[in-house]
Amino acid sequence: MDLGTFESIAYAYPEIILIGTATLIFLLDPFVRGKQGFGSLALFACALALVFSIGLRIPFTDTWIAQGLFGWGEGWIFSRMVIVDDFAVFFKLIFSLAAFATVWMSLGSNEVRSTSEGEYYGLLLASTAGMFYMASAANLLMAYLALEFVSLTSYILTGFLRQNRRSGEAALKYTIYGGVASGTMIYGMSWLYGIAGSFDYVQINAALATGSAEPLTVFIALVLILSGFGYKIAAVPFHMWAPDVYEGAPIPVTAFLSVGSKAAGFAILMRLFYPGLSEAAEGGSWHFLAGVEWPQLMLVICMATMTLGNLAALNQQNVKRMLAYSSIAHAGYTLMGFVVLNDEGLRAMLFYLVTYYLMNIGAFVVVMVVANSTGREDIDGYRGLAWRGGAVPAVAMAIFLFSLAGLPPLAGFIGKFYLFAAVVKEQFYLLALVGLANSVVALYYYTNIVRTMFFDQPQGDEGVVTLDAHNAILLYFLAAPTIVLGVYWEPVIELATRSARFFLG
Amino acid sequence: MHDAHVIASSTLWLIPALPLLGFLLAITFGQARALVRVVAPSVVGLAFGVALMAVLRLVGAESGSRLVNHVYTWIAAGPFQADVTFRLDALSAVMVLIVTGIGFLIHVYSVGYMAHDADLPRFFAYLNLFMCAMLILVLADNLLLLFVGWEGVGLCSYLLIGFWYESDANAAAGKKAFIVNRVGDLGMLLGIMLLAWSGFEAGGGEVMSLDFAHIDAHAATLGAATATTIALLLLVGAAGKSAQLPLFVWLPDAMAGPTPVSALIHAATMVTAGIYMIARLHLVFEASPFALDVVAVLGVVTALFAATIALVQTDIKKVLAYSTVSQLGFMVLALGVGAFATAIFHVMTHAFFKALLFMAAGSVIHGMSDEQDVRQMGGLRTRMPVTYMTFLIGTLAIAGAPGLAGFFSKDEILWHTWAGGHPVLWLLAVLAATLTAFYMFRLLFLTFFGELRATPEIAEHVHESPKLMTIPLVVLAALSVFGGWVGLPEGWLWGPAFGRFLEPVVGHPHLDHHGMLGEGALMLIATGMAAAGAGLAWVFYVQRPELPAQISERFRALHALLVGKYWIDELYDALIVRPYVRFSGMLWRVIDQGIIDGAVQGTAAFVVVNGQLWRVVQTGNVQHYALIFLGGAATVLLYYLVR
Repeated sequence: MDLGTFESIAYAYPEIILIGTATLIFLLDPFVRGKQGFGSLALFACALALVFSIGLRIPFTDTWIAQGLFGWGEGWIFSRMVIVDDFAVFFKLIFSLAAFATVWMSLGSNEVRSTSEGEYYGLLLASTAGMFYMASAANLLMAYLALEFVSLTSYILTGFLRQNRRSGEAALKYTIYGGVASGTMIYGMSWLYGIAGSFDYVQINAALATGSAEPLTVFIALVLILSGFGYKIAAVPFHMWAPDVYEGAPIPVTAFLSVGSKAAGFAILMRLFYPGLSEAAEGGSWHFLAGVEWPQLMLVICMATMTLGNLAALNQQNVKRMLAYSSIAHAGYTLMGFVVLNDEGLRAMLFYLVTYYLMNIGAFVVVMVVANSTGREDIDGYRGLAWRGGAVPAVAMAIFLFSLAGLPPLAGFIGKFYLFAAVVKEQFYLLALVGLANSVVALYYYTNIVRTMFFDQPQGDEGVVTLDAHNAILLYFLAAPTIVLGVYWEPVIELATRSARFFLG
Repeated sequence: MHDAHVIASSTLWLIPALPLLGFLLAITFGQARALVRVVAPSVVGLAFGVALMAVLRLVGAESGSRLVNHVYTWIAAGPFQADVTFRLDALSAVMVLIVTGIGFLIHVYSVGYMAHDADLPRFFAYLNLFMCAMLILVLADNLLLLFVGWEGVGLCSYLLIGFWYESDANAAAGKKAFIVNRVGDLGMLLGIMLLAWSGFEAGGGEVMSLDFAHIDAHAATLGAATATTIALLLLVGAAGKSAQLPLFVWLPDAMAGPTPVSALIHAATMVTAGIYMIARLHLVFEASPFALDVVAVLGVVTALFAATIALVQTDIKKVLAYSTVSQLGFMVLALGVGAFATAIFHVMTHAFFKALLFMAAGSVIHGMSDEQDVRQMGGLRTRMPVTYMTFLIGTLAIAGAPGLAGFFSKDEILWHTWAGGHPVLWLLAVLAATLTAFYMFRLLFLTFFGELRATPEIAEHVHESPKLMTIPLVVLAALSVFGGWVGLPEGWLWGPAFGRFLEPVVGHPHLDHHGMLGEGALMLIATGMAAAGAGLAWVFYVQRPELPAQISERFRALHALLVGKYWIDELYDALIVRPYVRFSGMLWRVIDQGIIDGAVQGTAAFVVVNGQLWRVVQTGNVQHYALIFLGGAATVLLYYLVR
């Protein structure tokens, strides 16, 4: 299917819902005093976007409320600018869940409540819509616009605490850094356009497949583009912004950036490098096009990302900053599935992003609960957390951290298992060893927090932590699947398997 | 593989899931004591209902059928596959009904027994979790899932033994149980791995599975040495869980837990897991006659050994604990002589009367203001009539009084031992049964007869327990009287109906040696011996109470040996624990402090240096970041060029 603008609207409901709600919020913002309603409206919009993405059937009948994934089939819409396929829908699912959790967090966050929050929710929704397009862009121009749209909204969200110097500083750094990355990336895209004569992924693929392009030129173009994508997923050496931004941004925004934005970066990366720059072969494996040797390059980036992320996380004293480095390391783990060039690796990445969504947002929710009550984000502020009112957050945090560390029987273990299985199957033994060594290093700083929460005695100046029902619901909502996925992951891996498939025309 | 005997079921998963729900509710809404008190027994009751319906369906189906509920594919890694699948055949049907039925009674009893405990929600959370794990164990369709339940019950046992963790002794008892069980579990795990591997090789290297159907299909093809190794490793696991020599030492200490726990976990259900596992894998054991002989000898020696220790114990729960070890020995003996159905029959009747005895003992302890020493008791017959009557029934049942539950199952074990061609084992077993009658009646007389020897404060408060506790006692007493009638000797009325029910699963024992005595004659001998034991107890503890002291004076060495429990604990302490502690201390000083701490400090120094290096890079100055960004891109390019 290859639809023009007007026919395409029927396939763009999720994005229309998000953009429409965001616009509505911006319009109403000056006239409404109680801003909490906007949060609820945004929650509703996220849920609706989710439903329209994956579809919803009235149980036990054949009546569809929204067809979504099941009724769409796959193909191009908006004149080959955007693709609809299972891969895109999978990411839309992650983005809407991430946005939902973020809005829910924001409603319970003292930081966000202290600001004029109406436009905050509008920006969040707009950013989510941008991510939707990042996952489904079929054209370099569209990819660039979507990525830039997400970046711009993220800059504002990061600096949303206008009275907070750290937040403003983070936003400024993010903007400048993002500007450099974005400029580099579009420069690389122009090279690729020069080589292939088109922005369209299919035509780029066809042009490169002829083998007439000069390999060095292609490689320069790729490195430049990669620096833009690498900045989005915070891969070494394009990660420098992440610690400062994650530390300065409001906690819900940090959670959103570390999960939603990162997943969007992975989506755009996978779509360009797999169907764009490689070709599918028999038995679920892929071959990169002649002269475009990106897997070697990614292998180095992957190992550097996890190693530097983990080493830097080791002696962080601020939990948010530590989680920032941890999220860099996790970008490295996820990339393990990227370099192996087969469907199993893709599937493992998709699965890992789901588990990462649960455990990373969960960890940030606990950070927020602690910050709400005590205003502290340093590790010392977690001393004896379990014994001063924070038993539930402490146990939840332990679950999330152990899952991040990859201990069974938690979701993170299963996610890592699939990644390592894909790596070992393709006989990347060095990568597997580096990954294992990294998991061991990471265990140190994760368990250090667990130890602080349970075995260190409070010294009296940490304050009492209270958990309200609103945040407790989110904690349970994230912690329960983190445990359940550790023993029962069949449906999710099936979903990931069927989603690791691109529409190729 | 299509099997006509497989009936699809969609409800079996509910049986373990219901207690799991109770556990989740109890840990989530622990503040609501009233809720927990209602929910915890109800979920077990519901599980019993679901189990009963499933069992009725099974009974209605063709003999040898099984209900199978495939829940989901758990692990699929290369050739290895393990599913979360539950199966209900005759063997698991019996176990499920025992676990949920007696479990329900004990939950109800606990509502009364634990009413005043501040930590009641935690107690029921653990107890529900135990039920869940135990039901997974008996319903599992493959050995790996069984092992999940196996470890789960071990964990809950540990948590419940140390339930009153403020006392060091309780915590130590919990740890001891856990550690001793680890030894058994190691053997079990090795056995499982070896079984998976040998099945994999026997099947041509295509399917690696621990499904019981797969194991059964390949059991006959195992080589003699392999089968013996696997069987003996699994036996180590069973000896740990079912408290056999030499791993029985944790069970008497486990009495530190609340009495309902002793009744449920350390008498009726968990400790029979080893028996169940061997019966479940009987084809593997039958592939190695040598291993079976080891099982039989181990069983009878344990039975006799524990019975002798029980003769002189003064703590009411300790006597029952050693009695449990001894009775488990009888079951293991039955397994060893190939009478698997009989072993399960004894599991069932033992569950009835031992749960009854423990709960009656709990009632006594409750009425005696937590006094457990029988030397402080006496004369409770009139003050606690219901408890006395039920305890009496339990004692008669375990001693093998004709017509009661224990009579039929014990007689079957003795008969199979004799007819299977093991007269020496038979003789030892009869001796153990005689001692059983003696020490049980000794316990009964010391507790309920004579004069009350307690301090006046305690004596004043002695009272019968509330209805919530006595009603489960009465139900169990009824089961202890009539529960054995499902398995009568061959030729009596309906005969061994129980054995016929289990036969399609565990097979029929070979009785190749009938000898000169028939079953009736053997029965008379055993019953006569038991009666003699009981009579001797009457003489010793009612007619002439001064006699025991004189006799123990006369055989001082023997008495000290028994009171000291053969100094097994001390022996282990000297042979294993202390050398191990010394070895660990050496490791700690040399390896840990010297090498590892050195490495850690080295790492720490490295991390500090690394951190400082990092701080130099991560200046916070965004121009530097941009520079590094471009430098990074340039480096990547350079890497490509120089490669």
